[in-house]
Amino acid sequence: MAELRTVPGGPAAAPVVVPGGDRDGRFASRMIIAGASILSVVALAAVFAPLLSQWGETEIDAANTLVAPGGSHLLGTDGNGMDIWSRVLYAARLDLGIALAAVALAVVVGTLLGLVAGYFGGWLDDVLMRVVDIFQSFPTFILALAVAALLGNGTINLIVTIAAVNAPAYARLVRAEVRSLRELPFVDAAITSGASPAGVLWRHLLPNSLTPVRVIAPLNCGWAMLTLAGLSFLGLGVSIPEAEWGAMISLGAADVVGGRWWTSVPPGLALFVCVLGFSLLGEGLQDRANAKRR
Amino acid sequence: MTVLSIENLSVTIRRPGRQVAALSGVSFAVRPGEVVGLVGESGGGKSMVARAVVGLLPGGSHATGRVRLGDSDVLRMDDAALAAHRGRGVAICFQNPRGALSPTRTIGKQLVDRLATHQDMSGDRAREAARELFETVGIRSAQRRLDAYAHELSGGMAQRVMISLATGCAPELLIADEPTTGLDVTLTREILRQFRHAADTDGRGVLLISHDLASIAEVCDRVVVLYAGTVVESGPAAQVLREPAHPYTRALLRSVPDVGGRPVVATPGAMPLLTQEPDNCPFVARCAHADRTCSTRRPPTAPVPGGGEWSLACFHPQTRPLDAGTPPPPAAEEKGAETGANPKPAVLEVEDAHVVYRSRFGSGGHHALRGVTLRLAPGETLGVVGESGCGKSTLAKLVMGLVAPTSGTVTVAGRALVGQPGRPRPRGRALRRARTRAQLVFQDPIGSLSPRRTVGDSIAEPLRAAGLSPAQREERVTAVLDRMELDRSILKRYPHELSGGQAQRVGIARALVGEPDLIVFDEPTSALDVTVQAQILDVIADVAADADRASVFISHDLATVRGFADRVVVLYLGRVVEEGPVDVVFDTPRHPYTRALLGSAPRLGPTTGSDGEAVELVKDLEEADAATGCPLAARCPFATGRCRTEQQELQSYGESRAACWRVPELPALIGRQAVTP
Amino acid sequence: MRILRFVVRRLLQLVPVLLGVVVLAFLLVRVLPGDPVRSILGQNATEEDAAAARARFGLDQSLWHQFLDYLGGLLTGDFGTSIQSGGSVGSEMALRVGPTLELVVISVTFALVVATVLGIWSAKRANRAGDHSIRIFALVGNSVPEFWLGLVLVLVGYSILGWFPAPNGRVDPDTGLTPLTGADLVDAVLTANGPATASAAAYLVLPVLTLVVGVVAPLLRSVRASALEVLHSESYAAAKAHGLRDRTLHHGYLLRATLVRLPSLAALVFGTAIGSTVLVEYVFSWQGFGQWALRGLLYRDYPVVQASVLVIALCYVLVFLIADVVHAILDPRVRL
Repeated sequence: MAELRTVPGGPAAAPVVVPGGDRDGRFASRMIIAGASILSVVALAAVFAPLLSQWGETEIDAANTLVAPGGSHLLGTDGNGMDIWSRVLYAARLDLGIALAAVALAVVVGTLLGLVAGYFGGWLDDVLMRVVDIFQSFPTFILALAVAALLGNGTINLIVTIAAVNAPAYARLVRAEVRSLRELPFVDAAITSGASPAGVLWRHLLPNSLTPVRVIAPLNCGWAMLTLAGLSFLGLGVSIPEAEWGAMISLGAADVVGGRWWTSVPPGLALFVCVLGFSLLGEGLQDRANAKRR
Repeated sequence: MTVLSIENLSVTIRRPGRQVAALSGVSFAVRPGEVVGLVGESGGGKSMVARAVVGLLPGGSHATGRVRLGDSDVLRMDDAALAAHRGRGVAICFQNPRGALSPTRTIGKQLVDRLATHQDMSGDRAREAARELFETVGIRSAQRRLDAYAHELSGGMAQRVMISLATGCAPELLIADEPTTGLDVTLTREILRQFRHAADTDGRGVLLISHDLASIAEVCDRVVVLYAGTVVESGPAAQVLREPAHPYTRALLRSVPDVGGRPVVATPGAMPLLTQEPDNCPFVARCAHADRTCSTRRPPTAPVPGGGEWSLACFHPQTRPLDAGTPPPPAAEEKGAETGANPKPAVLEVEDAHVVYRSRFGSGGHHALRGVTLRLAPGETLGVVGESGCGKSTLAKLVMGLVAPTSGTVTVAGRALVGQPGRPRPRGRALRRARTRAQLVFQDPIGSLSPRRTVGDSIAEPLRAAGLSPAQREERVTAVLDRMELDRSILKRYPHELSGGQAQRVGIARALVGEPDLIVFDEPTSALDVTVQAQILDVIADVAADADRASVFISHDLATVRGFADRVVVLYLGRVVEEGPVDVVFDTPRHPYTRALLGSAPRLGPTTGSDGEAVELVKDLEEADAATGCPLAARCPFATGRCRTEQQELQSYGESRAACWRVPELPALIGRQAVTP
Repeated sequence: MRILRFVVRRLLQLVPVLLGVVVLAFLLVRVLPGDPVRSILGQNATEEDAAAARARFGLDQSLWHQFLDYLGGLLTGDFGTSIQSGGSVGSEMALRVGPTLELVVISVTFALVVATVLGIWSAKRANRAGDHSIRIFALVGNSVPEFWLGLVLVLVGYSILGWFPAPNGRVDPDTGLTPLTGADLVDAVLTANGPATASAAAYLVLPVLTLVVGVVAPLLRSVRASALEVLHSESYAAAKAHGLRDRTLHHGYLLRATLVRLPSLAALVFGTAIGSTVLVEYVFSWQGFGQWALRGLLYRDYPVVQASVLVIALCYVLVFLIADVVHAILDPRVRL
């Protein structure tokens, strides 16, 4: 015991406190609250855009093109004389709407495919998974570019594009989940209790395999917004005069080099903050899910 | 002189919205060369003691008292002192050895790391010492094993490596946290001997933590019994185990089934989860001897008069012998006579069934069952025993129609539940109805309930398939709840809100609700604590006694089977090696494997002198492979050339049948083995 | 030897996948709305002009014929002729791949190092201030639109501070750099051209920074998560409880076990980076592969689109192959 340092202890009755144990959940909660607050603000801005700005979405102030912030234009105007501030607000409608709709579509389609492939296996699984493989052997943004070029512009087409690029990931996720759930005793229990295959799928596997989907979906919404904006930036998504953050950034890109920052910076900032909201929410949820698993 | 001395240790874990008093005033000591058993059920605080000794209390812990190692207090060590203390002062063997070994470092390197840190060895000398250590813990071809990774080891081998890692730290105190969980009986003994060896030859203090009193009893010098974070009884192992004085220790011991046939006595209730140090006896709610004093004052720990080191925390120490007043049940014989008299149509018929799991890649596959034949009449209970990997669970799945036989047939209540060679494939509603005639009770009680379905939903599942109306379902469900002694409020709860015991009652309720012809219990109590296990065994015994139903009870634990099975089947590597009436097989085993199993089964109290006749198998199960001939040939001490080449069929020996041609010679052979080991 | 056999087997398995990609790309470009020929002809071109142009590019042949021609060309290394420029697709591409690979490889390498160091550092301080800052940084990186970040960096680094060159190319043309591989920094170093090296490096800073911020975030999160998993694992707890020194713990029990999962993620991120280059090159006028492929797609330049799809797919699967090999070397549980 010679090498053990003797630490002069206090009285045995004084408690020794091991720190930690109470902070694990707090950061996750804060992230969730921050993310949800950001998203609420963005949603409110989208809804009440007409009240928050005196200019319309596509209203042109022909006398004042590319004016700097201040005066009657809070954030200045772009090269067409449209008010940046009001367009940043209006753009939230299209950006949020398309992203949410696309992710919802991807979740529904991907989950169904994953469920069926994972539970029944066999040739169906093989075919579905090969299709997913081909989809996933391209970087997702490249894939989105290709699909967008194929389908062309338009809100519905953009929703379908972004959903199509994301659905394979959900299919794979749900399939993996179903395959591991299928090995658990409760599925055997359902089968020996006489449940039909549809019953096993619908009543037992579906509700349990959605857990990871719920965590991934918010993060995915953020990604969908970035993709949408990226497509618009390259001219393959929403195009001017409709208000969309990516298209607005694109319009002002050339002016930035000359130091006229107000056309591109504000819409980008709005996009960034909104995506950050989704990221915070998703990360917080993931933390919470991990904590529960441990 | 003590290695470890714990004085009045209390640990409370405070987290937001939750506070748990994990330990309340625990005191005991371990001396050099002594093996101390720390026993009790989960939630008793065993692991918390281990964590306190290693200095790894969880975050949010508030600890008082002292944990002395030599002359320093572990609770109050700074980081540097703790680093020196861990390993050299105390080394711990973890419960799940395969998980506790690093997956990306060879086990040889992991051991060398310990030797380098604590014994200043390096290079070839460390490697040589590592090889020697591997050999001492019984690892064959140690040199080659040095370069193995954790995933290449079997469970038993991993535990041996874990022990070598812990002893490689040259600690003064060795802690083993449930070292034999998940290991088969034949291996358990061997592993436990390693700890005795560490205490005897190296003079280390050993703290052996286990929920299973019976299995560690024989290697311990003293035992300490924990209940709800308090020490209720401690003293020399022989005394505490043979004539326990604390009602909880007595309840614990009486809950353990015994291969000798001593009946299990269940204690109602469950261990309380304390939020603060108790000011009464924590066992008061479950104790038959409790009075007002017990519920208002906490009993102090006091030595038992004339008991030496024996001490107790109880106002009403019990002195009667443990078994008094519980006559052996006469029921078994009556039942046996009854089933023999009038043969009814069989509920379950398995004819020469083989199951081969095809390997996913290419040829070969795992032959899980090789020609099993069974027949079961209504009212009969069949016990199936064997070690892990013997095909028990496959048999359960086969009977339930979850696995199709590769050849042979399985008939349940006259119908096939799955496609079988040469029979029409059952499907649709008829199949679903047929399935409900046989029900399975699972090993993992909580995992067998759908996590996002309410308990009520789960129980009613078989009725849904039978097409009953909601009203009828509710009626049947409430009836079965009453039989399981469950409260109605449980119907609205979710599986994760249940205790293991409650979940298993729900599982049995689900099996019972459709009034099936056959219930298969697949290791239904192996995931449960001892006193809970006793309660569930009570319930199962009651269910199995229903006259119009047949039951199959599968277990690795011979003792639980003995309680209520009429007949027993011993499986080894997918073959039936012995079968017969339960008492005949257990009292006069024929097959060498059955003898080995029974010989290594833990026994409480005075052993019946059968030790001299026990067969010792020569290798671990994982190392033996069944080629041609007798599957046991590779491990059997009596194997001859004929055993290795000739397939063994079941032959009648008295009332039972065994698949071994040497049965008549065995008694003489065993006598010789005992003399010259 | 086992690894070599694995690589060969995987390369053989690639053949059908790439063949599938070739067929798919060939069919899909022809489904794209828009006519490639119309885009090179003027407004007032007649129907005859268009027909003549179609014949020139072989677009009047049957689909089968076109495909077999294309496939035959591929086998001899001929990617066809660009409809837009009239030049050889193969040689155009050779000029474009170098600059893009340089950008991606530098960014991903940089991101890997940063992510490994910060991720493990962060995990060791889980739930303390340092860890929280790293996590917020990762979330920011995850959320920022790269093309916008590029613009902001140009605004700050060029327009306001003037520290970096304008976003108009990859190297100052006055330095007289002789192109060898197309990757300008590499070429400058190889030709020992000092001014060109400095110029190429200066041009690289902003686009690399842009890519790194986007790419480092997912890597960082994953390294942190897997380091945390190792730190919480029973095996790490066991090693710690046996009193091993911090150095031994870090090198023997934390590092390798943490990095086991990094290769496949790095491959995925490499793909993401290739996708991002399309945007980043656009912002910085990088004139690399991404911009070239994008223009091909926008103008329906069939041979260009087909070639870029094939190259991206090839690149992606090769990177995944490398990742699998590295994974197998790191993780003894993986059997090749």
